[in-house]
Amino acid sequence: MLKTEELQINIGPQHPSTHGVFRMLVTVDGETVTDLKPVFGYLHRNHEQIAEVNTYLQNMPYTDRLDYFNAMANNQAYAMAVEKMVGIEVPERAEYLRVLMVELTRILNHAGALGFLINDMGAWQTQLAFGMREREKILDLFESVSGARLMCNYFRFGGVARDLPPDFMPRLKDLLVAMPAFVDEMERLLRENEILLQRSEGIGILPKDLALAYSVTGPVLRGSGVAYDIRRAEPYSIYDRLDFDIPVGSVGDVYDRILVRIEEMRQSRRIIEQVIAQLPDAQGGHINPKARQNVRPPVGDVYARVETPKGELGFYLVSDGSSKPYRYKVRAPSFINLTPLGDMCRGYKVADMVVILGSIDIVMGEVDR
Amino acid sequence: MTIEMQRGSVIVMDRRRGKLRAGQGLLQGLKVVWDHWAGSFRTNDNFSKIHGTFTVEYPDERLPMPQAYRNMPVLLFDDESGHELCTGCYQCQRICPPQVIHITQAKDPVTGKMVPAATEFIIEYDACMSCGFCAEVCPFDSIKMDHVYELSTADRVSLTMRKTQLNRPISYYTGIAPDLWAEAQAGAMKKLQGSIKRRPDVIGLAASLTEKIKARRLELAAAGQVAGGGGQEAGVAPAAPAAKLTPEEKAAKLAAMKAAKQAGGAPAPAEAPVELSPADAKAAKLAAIKAANAAKQAGAAPAEAPVELSPADAKAAKLAAIKAANAAKQAGAVPAPVEVPSTPLDAKAARLAAIKAANAAKQAAEQSNNE
Ligand code: SF4
Ligand code: SF4
Repeated sequence: MLKTEELQINIGPQHPSTHGVFRMLVTVDGETVTDLKPVFGYLHRNHEQIAEVNTYLQNMPYTDRLDYFNAMANNQAYAMAVEKMVGIEVPERAEYLRVLMVELTRILNHAGALGFLINDMGAWQTQLAFGMREREKILDLFESVSGARLMCNYFRFGGVARDLPPDFMPRLKDLLVAMPAFVDEMERLLRENEILLQRSEGIGILPKDLALAYSVTGPVLRGSGVAYDIRRAEPYSIYDRLDFDIPVGSVGDVYDRILVRIEEMRQSRRIIEQVIAQLPDAQGGHINPKARQNVRPPVGDVYARVETPKGELGFYLVSDGSSKPYRYKVRAPSFINLTPLGDMCRGYKVADMVVILGSIDIVMGEVDR
Repeated sequence: MTIEMQRGSVIVMDRRRGKLRAGQGLLQGLKVVWDHWAGSFRTNDNFSKIHGTFTVEYPDERLPMPQAYRNMPVLLFDDESGHELCTGCYQCQRICPPQVIHITQAKDPVTGKMVPAATEFIIEYDACMSCGFCAEVCPFDSIKMDHVYELSTADRVSLTMRKTQLNRPISYYTGIAPDLWAEAQAGAMKKLQGSIKRRPDVIGLAASLTEKIKARRLELAAAGQVAGGGGQEAGVAPAAPAAKLTPEEKAAKLAAMKAAKQAGGAPAPAEAPVELSPADAKAAKLAAIKAANAAKQAGAAPAEAPVELSPADAKAAKLAAIKAANAAKQAGAVPAPVEVPSTPLDAKAARLAAIKAANAAKQAAEQSNNE
């Protein structure tokens, strides 16, 4: 018997499979991962401290830069936190527009995330290109309404920055025609593909109790079989008026996470269809005309959370009565979902580790802040 | 753990759907890829299709940008009057999250009061986060988001944009965002007229419009001298309160511009602050004296008489003098006797210069009519 030694290797912070500047301190025994320590902090931009010297409104574009895949969802969480603190009413139409944008965001996030995951498995660009193509269409829509593709900065306290441009709805309806075809096609490409099954089935299992212990949220938690979605658990905005299902997995492996994400795209499309149907009857304009953007919330603290495509994004704000937050804390889903990485990877091969990381779907901008 | 749900249900994902024979999943996937390959020879111009190419060959072809697209902020000025819309109200500077806007508000060189215009306006493009707040907050619709996206450079310092680099005519903005401007237009133009009224001299004119500035100086010199001479406006002088754009005023301005063209020289420094409110006769008078002297010398080079006043005033006066002289000379003005009540000191010289300038303008106007 050959005497083997455990070896510690660093993967990252500059590594194509780490989805950003992220380091994994991996202890390997041959090909098998015996321990893994995620090391964050390479993309630290002092986000929370900067937020404390900015006024409340000035922080809005900074939230875009947290999870830069889902600027709209970040905007929503932050806008909700401030609205809750100040007590700003949001008109019905604005709520519909918000939900519309956030659900589009969910589709584009999952389209991209699955693409990157398949890329991590070694299928190079095929699925990524297909996913990015659909994402591109949604970004075009975002651009026409908010002015920017990624850093949308579209939400304001009491509504959204502007109403839909005239060509938005026809394009959105076209997109919805393409959407089921795209998701079906994606499923045909991925589901029960023998190679994909080999790489994902039984890999990176995160058991239910462990997922709960780690406070994991989002598709990762649902993949582990916990039907927890803030849109249902604590309905905000207008989600209590919309029909949609919550997909959950049964095993909690990478494959379940893929399936959950595919189904979530379908459900998001369902939500968007309902929004389109209900939008013409919605009361009010795109913004509450009485809402001041230059807010001075009363002394107190507030926590508001939304279900972003990655999980629970929460903003904890403390106000000292001035125009700037006294404390500004982000509960970022990517960060918390990343913490059980060590437990998820233990016992699997090095190649699996990359796939497991991909299946969590992180954005370092949000992890390090 | 499970949550109460009113609408919708929890669905457990089905891990194995059909019984596929070995390799069937792969073939299925290959078919998808194949379809895309086959479709890639067609173009996809519609959001409802998923096959086909919808990319463009970028440097040669460009996609049209949506009107709301925002990249970097620019400052607008009015095509017609040449006035900048910005009043230097600091709203954008205050809201800018990374604090990259730096404004210097214009001051009346004589009274020292704030004037609704900005003498300098700097935006550090390299640190701008393109959030669009400045454009959103500007009450005068002066700052707007540009659509130019090819800004990369190896020289970071060159991305600190000054007002002259930021200025764009309104016609440029209507070209990129007609609907957005249509919404803002009425309010913006109304406010602009209000600002123009409160702008003395050439403050607020876009520095690039040297022609307009020249014309404005001429016009001001003429109008101001008459006012300085005693307040009675000679019928021939383009002497209406300087900032109003009545039809007569426009005509006068045109005439003045023609005269300036004929004069053809005396390049004016863009930002020389000349004071011309009727209340401030002194500077105008001084200008008039110089103009008179210059006219007397008939064809002499720009007068270089030393002036003992505040530097700004002196410079301005000199400048006005040069221009008035040149205009008078070139247009071949003949002093016409006009009754202007005398005020002490150099009223006479002032009157003379004023008349000369006015006549020059008039003749130029007549000439252009004859043509
Ligand atoms: S776009 Fe935003 S960051 Fe840029 S100058 Fe305007 S307010 Fe400042
Ligand atoms: S650009 Fe607009 S907001 Fe900024 S100083 Fe000028 S007028 Fe005020």
